[in-house]
Amino acid sequence: MTTIQPIPWEAIEALLHRVQKPGRYVGGEYNAIHKPWETTALHMCLAFPDIYDLGMSNFALAIFYELLNARPEVLAERAYLPAPDMIAQMRQASLPLYTLESYRPVAAFDILAISTAYEQLYTNILELLDLAGIPLRAADRDATHPLIIGGGHGTFNPEPVADFFDVFVIGEAEAVLLELIDTWQAHRHLPREDQLRALLDVPGLYIPRFYQATGEFGAVVPTDPAAPARILKRLLPTLPPTPIRQLVPNVEVTHNRAVVEIQRGCTRGCRFCQAGSITRPVRERPAAEIVESVAAILDATGYEEVALLSLSSADHSEIKPLLEALLERFAGRHLSISLPSLRIESFSVDLADMLSQGRRSGFTFAPEAGSDALRRRINKDIATADLLAVAEEVFRRGWRTLKLYFMLGLPGETDEDIEAIIDLAHRVRRLGLDIGGRKTEVHVSVSTFVPKPHTTFQWAALADRYTVERRQSLLRERLRGRGLRLSWNQYGSTRLEALLARGDRRLNAVVEAAWRNGARFDAWDEWRNLEAWERAFAETGFDVDAALYRPRATDEPLPWDHLHSGVEKRFFLRDYRRSQAGELLGDCRESCHACGILVNYPGMWTAEWECPEQGGGVKSKA
Amino acid sequence: MNGELQITDCECSIQNPKSEIQNLKSEIQNPRYRLTFATQRTLAYVSVLELGKIWERSLRRARLPLKYSQGYNPRPRLHFAAPLPVGCGSEADLLDVWLEAPVDPQRMRTALTDVVPPDLSVIDVRAVPEDEAALSEQLVAAEYRVWLRDVDPQIVQSAVTDFLHSDTLALAKRGRKYRGKTYNLRPLVEELRLEDAPAPWTGLWMRVYARPGATGRPDEVLKALDLNDAPRRCTRTRLILAV
Repeated sequence: MTTIQPIPWEAIEALLHRVQKPGRYVGGEYNAIHKPWETTALHMCLAFPDIYDLGMSNFALAIFYELLNARPEVLAERAYLPAPDMIAQMRQASLPLYTLESYRPVAAFDILAISTAYEQLYTNILELLDLAGIPLRAADRDATHPLIIGGGHGTFNPEPVADFFDVFVIGEAEAVLLELIDTWQAHRHLPREDQLRALLDVPGLYIPRFYQATGEFGAVVPTDPAAPARILKRLLPTLPPTPIRQLVPNVEVTHNRAVVEIQRGCTRGCRFCQAGSITRPVRERPAAEIVESVAAILDATGYEEVALLSLSSADHSEIKPLLEALLERFAGRHLSISLPSLRIESFSVDLADMLSQGRRSGFTFAPEAGSDALRRRINKDIATADLLAVAEEVFRRGWRTLKLYFMLGLPGETDEDIEAIIDLAHRVRRLGLDIGGRKTEVHVSVSTFVPKPHTTFQWAALADRYTVERRQSLLRERLRGRGLRLSWNQYGSTRLEALLARGDRRLNAVVEAAWRNGARFDAWDEWRNLEAWERAFAETGFDVDAALYRPRATDEPLPWDHLHSGVEKRFFLRDYRRSQAGELLGDCRESCHACGILVNYPGMWTAEWECPEQGGGVKSKA
Repeated sequence: MNGELQITDCECSIQNPKSEIQNLKSEIQNPRYRLTFATQRTLAYVSVLELGKIWERSLRRARLPLKYSQGYNPRPRLHFAAPLPVGCGSEADLLDVWLEAPVDPQRMRTALTDVVPPDLSVIDVRAVPEDEAALSEQLVAAEYRVWLRDVDPQIVQSAVTDFLHSDTLALAKRGRKYRGKTYNLRPLVEELRLEDAPAPWTGLWMRVYARPGATGRPDEVLKALDLNDAPRRCTRTRLILAV
């Protein structure tokens, strides 16, 4: 093993006075782990392809950082994509991307794991590879380059970036990373192709070079007899241990707080929600364990805030006793507790009430659709009358701002549904005025629906620009006045998100062309470059409209069919028909709807799972 | 007023002296400690707000009984002498900390040393009278050492000479609400000279006034010297309090 020298501090320091927020590029965080390079066998870099502020807030990376560094023979360091000003400085100074622990070039690591948490990171992934001095395409790399692996929600349709990665981890990487590392370690002396062939033995890995896309939009099929036709996501029977020595950033970041994941998965079955389906089954962390973890994290970090992470906090079966225990245990220690994703019910208001000692700035609900009928179609089971009752409760208990999140362009949406949003917002506004007075506000946030892979709506078309923009302007005209605020997405950015989310392998050429034209930071309003994308479409002859505005036939292959979330396609299809008929599907804690999880993971069930006894298939008890 | 108001850097951590006085009565029973600390390398690149948070979390890790303010958004009572500019480390900065109960300063120092981030060091901890004036009110001046790279020492010397010979050096005020306004930097700089530095650095030394509303900043001095683009390593070497 050759010794790779770190980049000298002086070389980094020389750039820092020219950039905004230089503290992003120097590391030095409390709880950062520094291991000796020479005596550690495997060097792994965990990278988030967006700026430090977001990457430090990504909880998945925190889990892997602790998990990997717990292994004596593994060293895991972090890298984030610098902001454009620092990228320009680094390129000018010929400084490659480096890790924040040892300041070693990312290209010197054995394995580079890049988060593919969401689609708008794709051009940033190319920028990250290029800044690291690593060839973009897997086909242009050999065993002297790091093995590039991807993981995160985006890997449930990784086809648009399949050419740039060696391996994708499908599902929960906690379950598979160590197996991947061990297998790779045993074969690292081999050429890259043979390393990858060896990794075919690890379940849950998708290695794109052993597959090809067929037909126009295409099924993806194996080209190698050893490659599985369908890759089932990896799953942990119980939630992984909570990272305790969490990193404490020195500079301000998006979520600057301790995190405990209290629940993974969701039983509500909202038909637009990808996170809800790909993170099934629901696994709950016991309340007693959560309290102990919070205590240990506070001692190890000094954080003054902890976020209890889940897709639907109020659904944790012990949520109220949990909050009571936390409030009692940490009374007098000036700890604030945040609880994201609250459902629209008075129980949620009770919970928030317990936590908000005096401070009542904003309360957020996501009705998603304006009318009862459309909410039935998306399986968001809340009636307008109940919503108003809860809003009244929120104002009555002293909150001044109520934020309401909606989606536009949902399947089956009509102008009446937009009228319903307007009507609902005004009624909530009036409630605020009557109860809390003129200082109350209603913020309406309307994003445009993107039909995501592995959801009930995966066959749906994206709503067209004309419809969406007309409905947006309808909202703008009618949601005006004191105490009402409206925000919405630019259609161009939604269209790009949809294209990347639903794309097939042909997108690789488009993504690369767009990056070469200057597209980066596609999730950022201030940095997004749609013109670079338009030129890329023209250069590659890619027909965006054909890819986005045609509802997929239910019998045609989808570009993500070879990746299996454990939820069956035929379950989604049944659910799609229910949606078209305006039928609700109840919470699957109460009765099992046979989504496929229990059948696909036989023998894995544990007491943490919220799947009920009468499962739709084989269910063995642990 | 001559000086530039530096409120953009210190809205939260530096207390308004007036409210300080008003609060004195209610704070009187809480012991107050003065920490002398140094920051370098990675911690030279944080804002004063961020440094406040770093201290709050270090003090919490040390399980010291911090005194928190009353109200909807309780904050620990931490009071720096002066904000450190982003990009500037320090050899001897001062921070006053209020606790709920007395703690042996030596024990406090040991407890903190174990839990501060890598580039922060605790030099001294001592108890100070609870009714002593705020550090920011006692502060008169600050000394900085600025090492520069990729510069010609002779050009630096002549820029310094020109600087010292001028009466007025108008610089743009920082912060959006002062757009288009200027202030005179020259009277804020008491001394400025070249000093020895190890190769490849060229050393500058300066003493600037640091009174409320009249604070000289090393990066502003570099701007006036037309050395704004030179790679630098900046360190505050001393804070001078009124005797």
